[in-house]
Amino acid sequence: MTVTMVSWKEAVMWGCAGLLIPLTGWALFLLVRRSDSRDAERADEEPDEWRVPELTVVGASRSLLHRWDPRFKVCSLLFFAFCAVSVQRLPSAMMGLLIAVGTLGIAGIPFRFALKRILAMVGFLGMFFLVMPLTVPARPSDTVIVVHGLEAIRFNPRGLWVAALIWTKATAVAVLMEPLLRTTPFPTTVRALAALGVSKKLCQMLLIMYRYVFVFRHEMARMWVGMSVRGFRPRTNGETFRVFGNFLGMLFVRSLERTQRVHEAMVCRGYQGEFPMLERFQGQRRDWLLGGFWFLLGVGMILSDRWGVPHLVGPGPGLWR
Amino acid sequence: MHIADGVIPTGVAVGCYLAAGGCVAVSLRKTAAEDLPKVAVMTSAFFVASLIHVPLGPTSVHLLLPGIVGIFLGWSAFLAIFLGLLLQSLLFQFGGLTALGANALMMGLPAWAAGAVYSVLASKGGARAPLLGGMCAAFAVFLAAVFLGLLLASSGEDFFGVAKLAMAAHVPVAVIEALVTGFVVAFVHRVKPELLQAGVAGGANR
Repeated sequence: MTVTMVSWKEAVMWGCAGLLIPLTGWALFLLVRRSDSRDAERADEEPDEWRVPELTVVGASRSLLHRWDPRFKVCSLLFFAFCAVSVQRLPSAMMGLLIAVGTLGIAGIPFRFALKRILAMVGFLGMFFLVMPLTVPARPSDTVIVVHGLEAIRFNPRGLWVAALIWTKATAVAVLMEPLLRTTPFPTTVRALAALGVSKKLCQMLLIMYRYVFVFRHEMARMWVGMSVRGFRPRTNGETFRVFGNFLGMLFVRSLERTQRVHEAMVCRGYQGEFPMLERFQGQRRDWLLGGFWFLLGVGMILSDRWGVPHLVGPGPGLWR
Repeated sequence: MHIADGVIPTGVAVGCYLAAGGCVAVSLRKTAAEDLPKVAVMTSAFFVASLIHVPLGPTSVHLLLPGIVGIFLGWSAFLAIFLGLLLQSLLFQFGGLTALGANALMMGLPAWAAGAVYSVLASKGGARAPLLGGMCAAFAVFLAAVFLGLLLASSGEDFFGVAKLAMAAHVPVAVIEALVTGFVVAFVHRVKPELLQAGVAGGANR
């Protein structure tokens, strides 16, 4: 382990430079939120966190990904996702991210959809960036930075590399979710899962949820407007917790009553424990070829991660040791 | 806090998937077939409830709800949590799809535990329902924090620092969760006590 001493001045300078990254992220976050509230028509009282995105089909509708049999799509992209999270070097992780962004481009999906997913992970992954450089144990090959006069705090740059590796992998999979989910209508994706052997009961429940989440979200918004006009403003105090408790309790009681009505309505329409399948999936040669391509891509990434690529940036493999 | 993709080793992620799959199968078997749509509708309600952010000083936390799901749904709770997390991952990217097994175990097992503790103690009739519900909720969040710490620590000693911080961050969440759950249970106890006693529509707890 090598120790590099730096003076206060240098430490402050580097600290300011390091702050630029989270600040840029924050600015991006605000930008997306602004553009969001502009195109959404909604009551002003409703908090931002309640917005539930619909998984609508977007992009160039005749792209390769849109025409791909959803069964093959789900299998291949999930397999690739597992390969992409298994790599342990930054260059291969970046390759995975590049492939994911490329797929997004081929599907013709606007980048802001992917950006929203990336921003959702900022809290969890930001924690790694802040904590890891200060807590990662020093290995013999590491160089730690110590500020003159503050010897107790050791800044280990390897922690930053580990955080960057995790961020890159998580972002690659997050970006890949868009071409997976937005090139087929969601119910079709779920039926593809059922055709692949996932429990039919689970798939059915997922479809019911995808419907009622939006119903209850509107119900919640209505109740919230009622509370707001009666003067309720959430704060950190016991009264707020009591009101939230009643609010949720009311939501659950209403939901329970609704489950009864929904169930009766379903039975009236001839529900006998199964939804009819409307699609019939048929694999063609193109589907198999695309699937094989993604399989090879994933395997190739793992192999090159273990034995191939010279590590250009950051320390060598050694995550999860 | 939900684990994102690429944090835990792939072996652990796959192992958690298998374990979670087993738990889902148990949960499915313990739920009567005609109750499945009802559990799904109820799960949607829990899903939107977890979107609510409770203010905490300058910041805010969202409710995790494993305690309340366990109390209301009993054996079906794991199923509900698994599906809720799956939909959350698909819609928002809160928690990665490759880490879904780990996230489901982390929240689903505490929900089962809280539900079991609640139903045993409530049937004895000792403590008052809201107090008991609040304590079960705090217990579930505490268990979830321990699971999260263990899962993060499974990634190697580099992750120990993050694991400790993530666990510490759950302390205020547990307090708020306990308070809100206590009030929810008090409300439901007054308005619709059968929801607490019998699980969803009376059939889910068989």
